[in-house]
Amino acid sequence: MLETGLILRALARNKIGALLIALQIALTMTIMVNAIFMIQDRQHQMQRDSGLDEANTFYLTNTVFGQDYNIQAHLQTDLHMIRNTPGVIDAIQINAVPLSSSGWSMALQHEPGEDKDAVGSAIYMVDEHAINSMGLELIAGINFTQEDIELRKDGQSTWPAKTIITKAFAENLYPDDWQSAVGKTVYISQTQPMQIIGIVKALQAPWNGWNGVERSMLVPFHRESKGSYYFIRTEEGRRDALMPIIEKALAESDKERIIRRVTTVEDTRKRSYRQHNATNKILTTVVITLTLITGFGIVGLAIFSINRRTKQIGTRRALGATKRQIMSYFMMENFIISAIGNVIGCIGAVGLNMWLVSTFNLSPISFELIAFGVVALFIVGQLAVLYPARKAAMIAPATATRTI
Amino acid sequence: MLVMKNINKIFQTADIQTHALRDFCLQVNEGDFVSVTGPSGSGKTTFLNIAGLLETYTDGEFLLDGEDVGTLNDNGRSRMRNQKIGFIFQGFNLIPDLNLYDNVDVPLRYRGFNAKERKRRIEENLERVGLASRMKHLPSQLSGGQQQRVAIARALATDPRFLLADEPTGNLDSEMAKGVLTLLEEINQQGTTIIMVTHDAELAQRAKRTIQVKDGRVSELEIVSPQMNQAIA
Repeated sequence: MLETGLILRALARNKIGALLIALQIALTMTIMVNAIFMIQDRQHQMQRDSGLDEANTFYLTNTVFGQDYNIQAHLQTDLHMIRNTPGVIDAIQINAVPLSSSGWSMALQHEPGEDKDAVGSAIYMVDEHAINSMGLELIAGINFTQEDIELRKDGQSTWPAKTIITKAFAENLYPDDWQSAVGKTVYISQTQPMQIIGIVKALQAPWNGWNGVERSMLVPFHRESKGSYYFIRTEEGRRDALMPIIEKALAESDKERIIRRVTTVEDTRKRSYRQHNATNKILTTVVITLTLITGFGIVGLAIFSINRRTKQIGTRRALGATKRQIMSYFMMENFIISAIGNVIGCIGAVGLNMWLVSTFNLSPISFELIAFGVVALFIVGQLAVLYPARKAAMIAPATATRTI
Repeated sequence: MLVMKNINKIFQTADIQTHALRDFCLQVNEGDFVSVTGPSGSGKTTFLNIAGLLETYTDGEFLLDGEDVGTLNDNGRSRMRNQKIGFIFQGFNLIPDLNLYDNVDVPLRYRGFNAKERKRRIEENLERVGLASRMKHLPSQLSGGQQQRVAIARALATDPRFLLADEPTGNLDSEMAKGVLTLLEEINQQGTTIIMVTHDAELAQRAKRTIQVKDGRVSELEIVSPQMNQAIA
């Protein structure tokens, strides 16, 4: 028969040690659940689809220094050369690269004018080859045509009449029916009309920590700028071999510019999430360390408690307790302490999460994660007390008659 | 009935072998009140431990209430302790964190009685030792004599056939000791067999039988059961 009532009353009269362990469990629960929540949040962020064909794309920077340099002519020559290189699927000039941490943003609004609600978006200036070059999936509407592409000079403030946006952006602009965005006119720079002609499944912004990272738009521009990116997509498995070939070809074709930072999109993703990975490793270490400390704390308290109660355990054995009943006593005692710790820990975990949500704009913690924390700490507690409980069960009943 | 025939108990350490009991023979009949005396180290506590199934013996034969103790495993010995034996310890051995009610409850829970039955037995036995009014008190709030009475109530709560007392008055002053002994005599008169280990000769005289243990043997029997062989002189 379980001695739950007796254990509770005994704990109530001898509560300091048990309370300290319960508080340790509560603290571990609070930190562990929120740390796992943060790890999961970062993992989720890292696993989001950028929309790009990451395995087969790379980019480089083209920086011109020559005087009276014909940027447009060289751009056409460069793109023609790259696109015709065997193994290359397509290539574009682009103003920014997804996940690279550096880019442009604008806002679109439904109606023209100041003080209207506008939704921010990353903006990529590309031509009609963008969808093919980046490996995007057009899920509604149409692509740009060659006639749509305009020349954009540095400092220019006017925008083309057409745009292609991501599905997430369309959902934001038209929550009731994202597909209805196609054909709609929206306004950029508060007053300039722009028609949405297509929707792509996904294309992330350059900033992974931005809460609007899924909102991007393509505009049909060729930039007449002395610094730009060329974004290149290759056939499967040929990226790494083509990177030095294209770099060399571009460098040798024109001595009035510098080709630098030839980088794969995969490397850009890794660099982009380097801090996330490091933070996750630290948080994982914290969770493991705290759990171990709690486990050892339980072991320590249980051993101390058993050593203090050796004669009492012998007496219980003399009164008829089996080894299993002695073990159950300590397992149940730990279960009760863990339960108290877990209840306090749940309150702490939710409280800390509420603070994190309000401070760092995170999503609320899930019930499943709290349930996981409770179960995990019960298991840790029971495993930790297993050895001391077995030790207690081995105390001889004759201890009751010994003078200790 | 308790029957021990040629019981030997040898404690073995790395270098030393200690013969605590040597061909120990004893029969205790139902309703007996036996006192066991002897000098320190004579083996009387070892005898009590073996008689109470707190310790195993090296060889010999031990029948308790007709059951061969040697065939029992640890669980079997625990069950038999709980059902047939009540213990009274010199240091009372009450659980300090539990009140009197809960202390008496401990062996009843191991027995598996339901709550109603446990309550009846606890109240009845605390009443029997005159402490029903203090059942919510902690042991530390009682005198030594009262604590020993609680221990007796705990021992009696399971209706044991045998009551084993290890120096039951050893930690009590003479007045309290008299009270406890009177209580033990009453319990014996009501049919419970009592075996009491004591070094107090005066106290031992109050038992129906007295045996003396020396060097691990029964060295003297004042009243010898007719079924038993002559104790070794």
